[in-house]
Amino acid sequence: MRLTPKQKHTLRVLLSWGAGIIMFFPIFWLVLTSFKTELQAISVPPLLFFEPTLENFALVQERSDYFSYAINSVITSFGATLLALLIAIPGAYAMAFWPSRFTKDILLWMLSTKMLPAVGVLMPIYLLVQKAGLLDTRTALVIIFAMINLPIVIWMLFSYFKEVPKEILESARMDGASTFDVITKLLLPLTKGGILSTALLSIVLCWNEAFWSINLTASDAGTLTALVASYSSPEGLFWAKLSAVSTLACAPIVVFGWFCQKQLVQGLTFGAVK
Amino acid sequence: MFDFSKELDLEAQRRRAAFYFLAPMIIALFCVAAWPLLRTIYFSFTDTSLTNLYGGEWIGFDNYLQRRELSSGRVIWRGTLVDPAWWNAVWNTVRFSVISVFFETVFGLGIALVLNAEFRGRGWVRAAILIPWAIPTIVSAKMWAWMLNDQFGIINDILVRIGILERGIAWTASIDTAMTAVLIVDIWKTTPFMALLCLAGLQMIPRDIYEAAKIDGVHPLKVFWKITLPLVRPALMVAVIFRMLDALRIFDLIYVLTPNSKATKTMSVISRENLIDFDKFAYGSAQSTLLFAIIAIFVSLYIWLGKVNLSGEGNQ
Repeated sequence: MRLTPKQKHTLRVLLSWGAGIIMFFPIFWLVLTSFKTELQAISVPPLLFFEPTLENFALVQERSDYFSYAINSVITSFGATLLALLIAIPGAYAMAFWPSRFTKDILLWMLSTKMLPAVGVLMPIYLLVQKAGLLDTRTALVIIFAMINLPIVIWMLFSYFKEVPKEILESARMDGASTFDVITKLLLPLTKGGILSTALLSIVLCWNEAFWSINLTASDAGTLTALVASYSSPEGLFWAKLSAVSTLACAPIVVFGWFCQKQLVQGLTFGAVK
Repeated sequence: MFDFSKELDLEAQRRRAAFYFLAPMIIALFCVAAWPLLRTIYFSFTDTSLTNLYGGEWIGFDNYLQRRELSSGRVIWRGTLVDPAWWNAVWNTVRFSVISVFFETVFGLGIALVLNAEFRGRGWVRAAILIPWAIPTIVSAKMWAWMLNDQFGIINDILVRIGILERGIAWTASIDTAMTAVLIVDIWKTTPFMALLCLAGLQMIPRDIYEAAKIDGVHPLKVFWKITLPLVRPALMVAVIFRMLDALRIFDLIYVLTPNSKATKTMSVISRENLIDFDKFAYGSAQSTLLFAIIAIFVSLYIWLGKVNLSGEGNQ
């Protein structure tokens, strides 16, 4: 069967909207539940129309200071991303422009960070953090988040840098520019888009990191994912409150991601794939 | 004349610069990749416990496999390698990884193909599809646990209403459906990531190839098999390996969604149980080490057999 171009177009639009709605529905439901009272939340059949209430949000804020957790999340995810970029940029530069026989080995070695279960390295890292006196501090989270994301950040930067023709950098060097100048004045502006999307990806990943923030922080440096976790175990049945706290935890990053999604799509177009 | 001494000088200078540039990265990688790994492997050969993390003594392979002869002359084997719970976890992990990555790849590619053309509202659809990926796993797992609830969940309600089910089922609690529930949630969560990577691959295919195929009247299915698929293959191979690495280590989703179901216990979950909950720290370390070994072997085979070019050299 052959479809006319018009039919094809309609089919495509229908399919994609269908997929979009299916993918988005659970999130819609989460947000909807957060505006229900606990009783409305467990009503059978589930309510689609009801009188919305803000009491869950008020309760969450009252019981645990949402903003201090949010600030921790912002600081740790931006701080860790910055730290990862600072380490990764020179490293990726060296690998991309001064390739050696080790380049491939280093790339493979980085993959091995994704081969061990996080819980398998929990104790060694916990002990390190404890010895350094950094338990329940944002510093510890910044360092650990940066380390966790370093492989993917390096990997992406490496693939962007490789796209830049060597000759451009060589000629700048011939004109007497120092390596530092070559990087800051030439390479970084040229790959700005890629670096931004790498940063974005890293921020999203840090924001969503739960394992380490649950295990290494308590009240001082807890991030939003730790806050969500704290609402789940003892209060498993208070679904409306859990929904409210989850909505609050995701909202900033989703809004942020929404504004930057074009950048993200373009960035991944190059980075993760090549 | 060519000045060789200067050339050598430059070369040495460059090498030193490369060293300084790479040093922070290597040190950092050593801290995250090498040291904890070595430490965990070391623990797995000792009798370390959580309460006595520094006092463990070397006991060789006993955590893996231990032969014991009773006074009656009967021989007992102990250790992870003869532990049925461990092999159950291995089987669950493999089953989960293969099925989830397969569907994620198929759906991801499908969505990417659909989204690869301009139409009204594409930005909205793309954003709606991307959002599940941006939500913390801990949140999405909780949310799905709620939606899959046997009494109050919306999924059962919908399925009963349209007549697929007679009455709601306890998706996450029942042994028959627990794995299905985990698979649904994981596929929902990671298909966007696959779609994104596939979309990226698709956008690099030159349009004129398609134009030419169209003019020659090649059937769309044939275009897909003969042009699209081979051209996105490199992107797909890398995407699949990254997904596979995560799937083989799946932990948080299962930990939240079906914490105690035997049907979904994976290698990560079971090694966490032993490491933390059961105070069999060294035993759990042995399981972590085995998990690492299994993944490492898998990755090597995949790269070798699939001829995946990780550093991207020579495929331009």
